[in-house]
Amino acid sequence: MSENVRHTSGFDVVKPLSITTLIVVMLPLVLLPLASIFIFGTSSGLASFWAALAAPEASFALQLSIVTSFWATIFNVVFGLFAAYVLSKYNFWGRNALIVTISLPTAIPTAVAGFALLLLWGPYGTLGRLLEPHGIQIMFTAAAIILANIFVTFPLAFGVIKPVFDTMSKSLEEASATMGATRWQTFWHVTLPSLRGAIVGGALLTFARSVGEFGSTILVSGNLASRTQTAPLYIFAKFNEGQVEAANAIAIVLALFSFAIFSILFFARDWLETE
Amino acid sequence: MQMNTTITAVSVRNVSKKFGAATVLEDINFDVGEGEIIVLLGASGSGKTTILRIIAGLEMPDSGEIILHGKDVSRLPARERGTGVIFQSYALFPKMNVEQNIGYGLRLRKKPKADIAKKIDELIELIGLQEHRKKSPSQLSGGQQQRVAIARALAYQPEVLLFDEPFGALDAQIRTRLRREIRALLKKINVPSIFITHDQEEALELGDRIAVLNQGKLEQIGTPFEVYNKPETEYVATFVGAANLLLGVVFERKISLGKIFLEMPEDSANFRNGQSVKIVFRPEDVFLRQPENLTQNYQKLATGIVEEINFVGAFERVVVRLDLSEKPPIIVTRPKTETVAFPLTIGQEVNVGLVRFRVLPNFTLASERAGRTV
Repeated sequence: MSENVRHTSGFDVVKPLSITTLIVVMLPLVLLPLASIFIFGTSSGLASFWAALAAPEASFALQLSIVTSFWATIFNVVFGLFAAYVLSKYNFWGRNALIVTISLPTAIPTAVAGFALLLLWGPYGTLGRLLEPHGIQIMFTAAAIILANIFVTFPLAFGVIKPVFDTMSKSLEEASATMGATRWQTFWHVTLPSLRGAIVGGALLTFARSVGEFGSTILVSGNLASRTQTAPLYIFAKFNEGQVEAANAIAIVLALFSFAIFSILFFARDWLETE
Repeated sequence: MQMNTTITAVSVRNVSKKFGAATVLEDINFDVGEGEIIVLLGASGSGKTTILRIIAGLEMPDSGEIILHGKDVSRLPARERGTGVIFQSYALFPKMNVEQNIGYGLRLRKKPKADIAKKIDELIELIGLQEHRKKSPSQLSGGQQQRVAIARALAYQPEVLLFDEPFGALDAQIRTRLRREIRALLKKINVPSIFITHDQEEALELGDRIAVLNQGKLEQIGTPFEVYNKPETEYVATFVGAANLLLGVVFERKISLGKIFLEMPEDSANFRNGQSVKIVFRPEDVFLRQPENLTQNYQKLATGIVEEINFVGAFERVVVRLDLSEKPPIIVTRPKTETVAFPLTIGQEVNVGLVRFRVLPNFTLASERAGRTV
């Protein structure tokens, strides 16, 4: 008891000490690198920052990133929802193997993912070889970037949605069925509303991860300016060319963008769950 | 079998079900009358939930039929049967408020909006939740959620209401109050209802009739009075209320318990001479007196020695070891009037009389079970 009293009434030196340690550790590892992007990007004035952003190649890269990420997100959320439904609802032989397989892309280095896609869809790849005579080329186009984004972010939405399915009471669906609902009506009116938070969360995660994807995109896209160059590839290219301001402007946009997405995830989660 | 009316609302006919190698239900038959409340009573694993799910269409029987108001629905999916299920967890839709939950069944049936609104108003008034109509289920107490679940099922005029252990999640005091409220409500709206429970007190208070299930078989179905006072099997006797069991042998319409002979009660089945039987009696059907004072209203069972006396609030619980060949102990409960009129002490010799007892065939010959008290 006496120890408890000391903790509550006396000055607790552990609290300020631990908070300071936390910040001191994070400073050089996370906070300062982020800060330096902003400090450097705005050091020569906002005008040059806007000019760097307004360059046609830069705005194209940003747009391409957003569009390809959007389609990858749509696909992975819809597929993740479907996969989570099937794998939560039905028990079948090989179910666990399938769950592991879906989750696998998170553990594979992104460069390996890009390489794997090249081997399959590239001009000499297993499938690419069959498509080429018909004039269909997947690699080194926006489609390749979408494919790479899909591959790399494949398990994210699934991983957020499935636990919600797993904990959802089976009696909700049964109640709906006894009240006269078809499976589709039950899914639409009962199941889906309960998944809203998980769907939005999964989508934001997928989108954020897609926008930042580099390792696989650089292999499959061809990295052609104003054609297949995404924002991260643009940063890399400009940095290599020594145009640090141009690279930095896009870096600021991407950093702010990630910050916004994770703020939504953090602050809107309660709202999404309860409303 | 008594029924409130002659109309049969639900018929369960020869229903059997296996899960893998395990037989869950074996040839179950019973009817539910219009407006009648039937309670399926059994321990966990007795198959009572499976019967409910089969009636609702959430489970298919291996054989047998379910007939709702004359229509064979055995092959229909749950959504075409029109039953109203009140789940133990209530299963209210968390993203819908009270009104939306109640109106859901009507919206699915594409009823006009005005009709739905009117019906919702009626039902919300019936369950007395006028001030809570816009609340989400998580903002309601357990009892309120349950009333919403009932209103939600009543909205589309179900063929039958099926209650899956509806009071299981509530604490004891609320449980008693709610089951009275719900029984009163069901009697008012006159909808046939089937409850399942493992709580015998709940069954006795709720049901017009009780069906006792044991390991997938229907042991007995009857009014609470019949099931309690005239149990047809040892299982029913011991599961519904406490019971003392003694082994005996039939001889010329009498039962021999060693040197003692008891007159066979008039409503007993026919037993042949020499047949092994069990006599079953409730702790409250035993009367204890001084050896010389046992009046003629009771059949004398034996003399015995008081071994244990426990005060259990409303009554006294006494263990008496009988002076029979195997010296079986029996349990006796005595109301306050008795404990005042005839106080007992441990070690005292008493005369043991029976107010009422049942005679059941003894299928198991395990004589060591004879003195068992459950």
